[in-house]
Amino acid sequence: MDEGHLKQKLAPTQKPKKEDGFKEFLYNPETGAVLGRTGMSWLLIFIFYIIFYIALAAFSLLNFYLFYLTISVDAPKWTMDSSLIGTNPGVGFRPRPDQEDSTDSTLIWFKQQDPNDFKFWSKQLEEFIEKIEEIQKDAGDDKTHSCTLGTENTTNRNKSCIVDLKQLGPCTKENDFGYGQGKPCFIIKLNKIYGWKPEAYGYKDTKSEFNQELFERDMKREQGKGMPEDLARHIKQEVDKLDRKRDALLLRRHLETVWISCLGENVADMENVGEILYYPMQGIPSYYFPYMNQKGYQPPFIMVQFTNPVHGVLINVECKAFAKNVISERIARVGQTHFELLID
Amino acid sequence: MGKSKRNGSSAKDNPAFENDLQMVEIHKPKAQEKGAIPQGFECDDHRIPLETLLKRYGTHETKGLKEDQVPVNRAIYGRNVLTPPKKPSLIIVLIKEIWGGLNLLLWACAILCIVSYLFQYVISPGNITPDNLILFVSIVIVVHVSGGCSFYQDFKSDRIMESFKDMVPRQSVVIRNGKRLDLEVADIVVGDIVEVKYGDLIPADIRILESHDFKVDNSSLTGESEPQKRSAECTDDNPMETRNLAFFSTNALEGVATGMVIRVGSNTLMGQLASLASNVDGGNSPLGIELNKFIKIMTFRSIIFGLSFFGVAMFLGYGLQNSVYFVIGIVVANVPEGLALTFTMTLSVAATKMAKKSCLVKHLHAVEALGSTSVICSDKTGTLTQNKMSVAHLWFNNEIAEADTSEFQTGQTFSFKDAGFMALANVAMLCSRANFKPGQENVPVLKRIVEGDASETAILKCMELQFGNVVKYRQKYPKLCEIPFNSTNKFQVSIHDMRNPGDPRYLLVMKGAPERIINLCTKILINDKEYDLDDQWLQEFNKTYHTLGTYGERVLGFCDCKLPLDRYPVGVEFQEDDPDFLDVGFRFVGLISMIDPPRAAVPDAVAKCRAAGIKVVMVTGDHPVTATAIARAVGIITPGNETIEEMAINKGISVKDINPADVKAAVVSGAELKLLSPDELRNVLRHHEEIVFARTSPEQKYIIVDAFQDLGFIVASTGDGVNDSPALKKADIGIAMGITGSEVSKETADMILMDDNFATIVTGVEEGRLIFDNLKKLLAYQLADNIAEMYSVMFFIILGVPLQMGTIAMLLSVCGTDVFPALSLSYETAEADIMKLKPRNPREDKMVTPQLLSYCYGQNSFMEVFSGYFVSCVCYMCNGWMPWALLWNQSAWNSKAINDMKDSYGQEWTYYARQELTFTCQTAFFISIVLTQIANVYCCKTRRMSLYQKGIGNMRMNIGVSIAILLACFLIYTPYLNFYVNFRYVRPEMWLAPLPFMLYMHFYDEIRKLIIRSSTGWLPTEMNF
Repeated sequence: MDEGHLKQKLAPTQKPKKEDGFKEFLYNPETGAVLGRTGMSWLLIFIFYIIFYIALAAFSLLNFYLFYLTISVDAPKWTMDSSLIGTNPGVGFRPRPDQEDSTDSTLIWFKQQDPNDFKFWSKQLEEFIEKIEEIQKDAGDDKTHSCTLGTENTTNRNKSCIVDLKQLGPCTKENDFGYGQGKPCFIIKLNKIYGWKPEAYGYKDTKSEFNQELFERDMKREQGKGMPEDLARHIKQEVDKLDRKRDALLLRRHLETVWISCLGENVADMENVGEILYYPMQGIPSYYFPYMNQKGYQPPFIMVQFTNPVHGVLINVECKAFAKNVISERIARVGQTHFELLID
Repeated sequence: MGKSKRNGSSAKDNPAFENDLQMVEIHKPKAQEKGAIPQGFECDDHRIPLETLLKRYGTHETKGLKEDQVPVNRAIYGRNVLTPPKKPSLIIVLIKEIWGGLNLLLWACAILCIVSYLFQYVISPGNITPDNLILFVSIVIVVHVSGGCSFYQDFKSDRIMESFKDMVPRQSVVIRNGKRLDLEVADIVVGDIVEVKYGDLIPADIRILESHDFKVDNSSLTGESEPQKRSAECTDDNPMETRNLAFFSTNALEGVATGMVIRVGSNTLMGQLASLASNVDGGNSPLGIELNKFIKIMTFRSIIFGLSFFGVAMFLGYGLQNSVYFVIGIVVANVPEGLALTFTMTLSVAATKMAKKSCLVKHLHAVEALGSTSVICSDKTGTLTQNKMSVAHLWFNNEIAEADTSEFQTGQTFSFKDAGFMALANVAMLCSRANFKPGQENVPVLKRIVEGDASETAILKCMELQFGNVVKYRQKYPKLCEIPFNSTNKFQVSIHDMRNPGDPRYLLVMKGAPERIINLCTKILINDKEYDLDDQWLQEFNKTYHTLGTYGERVLGFCDCKLPLDRYPVGVEFQEDDPDFLDVGFRFVGLISMIDPPRAAVPDAVAKCRAAGIKVVMVTGDHPVTATAIARAVGIITPGNETIEEMAINKGISVKDINPADVKAAVVSGAELKLLSPDELRNVLRHHEEIVFARTSPEQKYIIVDAFQDLGFIVASTGDGVNDSPALKKADIGIAMGITGSEVSKETADMILMDDNFATIVTGVEEGRLIFDNLKKLLAYQLADNIAEMYSVMFFIILGVPLQMGTIAMLLSVCGTDVFPALSLSYETAEADIMKLKPRNPREDKMVTPQLLSYCYGQNSFMEVFSGYFVSCVCYMCNGWMPWALLWNQSAWNSKAINDMKDSYGQEWTYYARQELTFTCQTAFFISIVLTQIANVYCCKTRRMSLYQKGIGNMRMNIGVSIAILLACFLIYTPYLNFYVNFRYVRPEMWLAPLPFMLYMHFYDEIRKLIIRSSTGWLPTEMNF
């Protein structure tokens, strides 16, 4: 074997190729490979993966489609207790702060004197009401009807009760919902849960008669759990107005109401919050339930007005809903809601 | 005879020992600092007058040290123990295990987590999720578990090694205070006067004071196996050359000597050589290199993904703080926490399996190294051979008879009626000093311990097997006189009374170097007739002697003679010192040749290695002829192949005229090796299939290993001597001998052959190759999970949907449900005959190939993440949320202030209910990951074969999968526990949702493997990881 030949053979081991040369990895001038692959190789692998992903996506979509066929567009597959939404509705309020700017904030802070400032808040209420008006308009008479406690009209699969937007007292668009006067209104509403209906105090179940004893016990329990004295008194007065026998139906409809009460959270807040008024009443009547994703369903709500809150002080407000099957829990924030109010 | 010729010359052309070391230094500059042993061994103790020396160490020539001087000398010069290469303390080992390798990556990740947590803590203390803290703690736990696991494995093999240590301390005769004492070698101090006799190991470096025919075997130092004379005169200034020094741990072969200890323990020459090993850069194991590369890739990918998603998150308007969290989330999800765990565990499983096959692996990474081995540099003695001389051939009646040399020989081979044989056997039995140690009557002959040298032992055992009680036979014919073997005479004589009343002549029996014996003979016995030893018989003799020599066997000649009564009447006194009977005319009875025969399993193992593409190279200190003979016997040199010299002889041309390319086999002696330049050596290694290195010193073994490594081979090297340790350390995998190996070599080695058997290496190779494949499968399996989770975080960012998989769930899957199926992969059997494949080329066949990454990042993880998202969507849809209602709705979804978020059916969800829903659907996602990983493990089970071909016979896998499912159920459905790990009750029917995707994965993989199996070209290469 001649020398030259031998040297040639030895050459690669004497200068072992440096492994993983990064520059070479980025661009290899010998093979023209970029990031370890030549153009052709990149093209082929690109095509391979396009086919792979198209096939995978198609398979996934097929699965979605097949599954989609098994669920209804009108009703959730799982409702109430089968679903994670449960049977304990939360309480919502409007207006609320912009979540993009201040995550997790529940502070309503406005300058009474500055319309540009408080418009942000009152506008939300305006929009909320406009939306309901829109639903009312769209739904038409065959989908909706007006309901009162006195009539038997109620929400069912075909017809929803009309939310009367004319009974909101001073909480109107014209009035800027009280924000300009330092008497802000808040919308308090109950979360919609498919198929959920409030249960009434004093009734064992939907079929049984009113039972005074049970009623007293229920009220006592609710008071123990934080139902304010005046609300309890209010309910009792309402009940007392009615004759147990003659007005049995009315009584039931009355008691099936989801009562709502807003209060300052602490002692100081209670003082600072001042007088609180509820429009049209201190609760949401039962005829608005159950929600079943009806075409013309209008979310029932009440207006809560703080007529003389102290200015310049942060007030913690807690609004709770009361019904036999609403259990307030502060941590889970069901049956109640919380916000802070600060008026400059 | 080539044997004797070479012997004479090789001692001369074997220049000073330093030359070897200098060669080491040329190859390995790093070893230079401490590598200069002769400097460290500068010594004038052999030159100075004895008086001065005695004074220097406060000792006396005949009385030895005084008792009170012993502790003084011990304090100054140390104890006579060889300290193995400094073993790092257990704590340092543990720390290394915990911080090294993959764990380093995890630590980086853990630090990222804790920094992120603290950062969050400072910015918004009230509103902090413990996820990052949990992750930090979990990673720290994982790191410690996997570190501890591999530490435990090392510790365990250490313990097994400990148990292998020689329990009986060696004794040595020492003169102290004028009294002879039997002392433990370790208790010897400098200045002690010691007595050594043949068969002893020299207990320390000694200067000879007095000697009688004293010879030592310095082969473990220099590789020179010829006995060397030692006496009291100083013959050379160089301590290595002078005759009056004998070195620690070398063997005394003949004679007796008294010497004074001048160096003990690690100050001895041998000790210094051993410490050279600690300066050798052992390099990283092949697996270590792969792991480092893998870590680099993962780090690089994490950073790339992290940075690009930081950009994406910023672009999508998540804000700086959130974007930073996302980046950390992605980086953390990309880091394979579970892999660190299962990787070590898989290696542990393999190490345990190998230990059962007598292959003790000291470091986990060495498990795979054997599998990638492409060259095995094997010792001869003890590894390839049985390490005991056995009679191989007998020549009598002018015929060469073969003796049984197998490891399990039994019974007689020859006929008692054959007069020729009986005469030879008679001489062989009588002319012997060897004896069985008493009390071994029930021990099989081959296992009995014999007092006497190797060849006598061989003959004794051969005869014992043939006749039974040799001792009794000897008693029958009492020995009247004996002249032991010595190197001047080159024969051994004994005279016996044959107790034959009819023929009272004494019988003289003699054995010795055949050429010496034949010269003394005048007659030759053939069958039962005596012939004159004429030229024709001499020619026959020479032919036979030559033939046996080429077998590499040690040949002894035997003759006898009835002493004439006139010169030696009954009752005559024989003069042992002055033999006057050499001229009586002996009768030649035959030759016996001996060899250390190869182990039975070795030829098969060598053939297996060859089939597996592994070069087996013999590196021995023995004579080239013996080495070649054994190499041929075990198949290291295959029958058809000839060395260049043999070829020249057979073709009748000069060596120069032969085309080197035609030569496949080479026998290179240490002397020749010394003359080769590194390039030439590489050339030799490259161009010969079959190489035998003979007469090499342990240092040359280092050079050979180094040269092979330069050529890109992965080298396994065996060794047992102290000074094999540099080579053992240099080799990619150093293999020490469990039985004969020195402590030091065992410390340095990566692996220990508990049975010293070469065949064991082959089973190790098989196991190692399997583990490489299985680790690859493990990577494909575990990475898929990690990457699927990383993608889920990415989709979460891009799509703005609720988080699909919580941090804890990720950890529970990669470090929980994945673990058992992953471990079962290590029990996967080979798909093809892996011992028929070439060893992997570490430069080309990597563990982490682009194809593997493409498969993990592009294919199976995508199928898993699609399945996860599908199942998650099913979960949301059942609860009333259409997927599109969730898109880019993340901030509202996660806002605690929004207590009435509308779903697709107009229902309004509180924050709390949404969170519960998120956890529930995360649980569903987790179920999907667990189930698709099960599909995945059955995909990863094979790399080429279809599952239908391979079957699901790996019961450990089936059990592992069952455990994974049970564990998932346990985590999801155990009250309280599930709450803390953020799992929620999921309806049983939800477990069915990932099924279509499991099937999809399975069939995709079957198609992929079908393409790999059935076609060639671009696509199968791209798909085959």
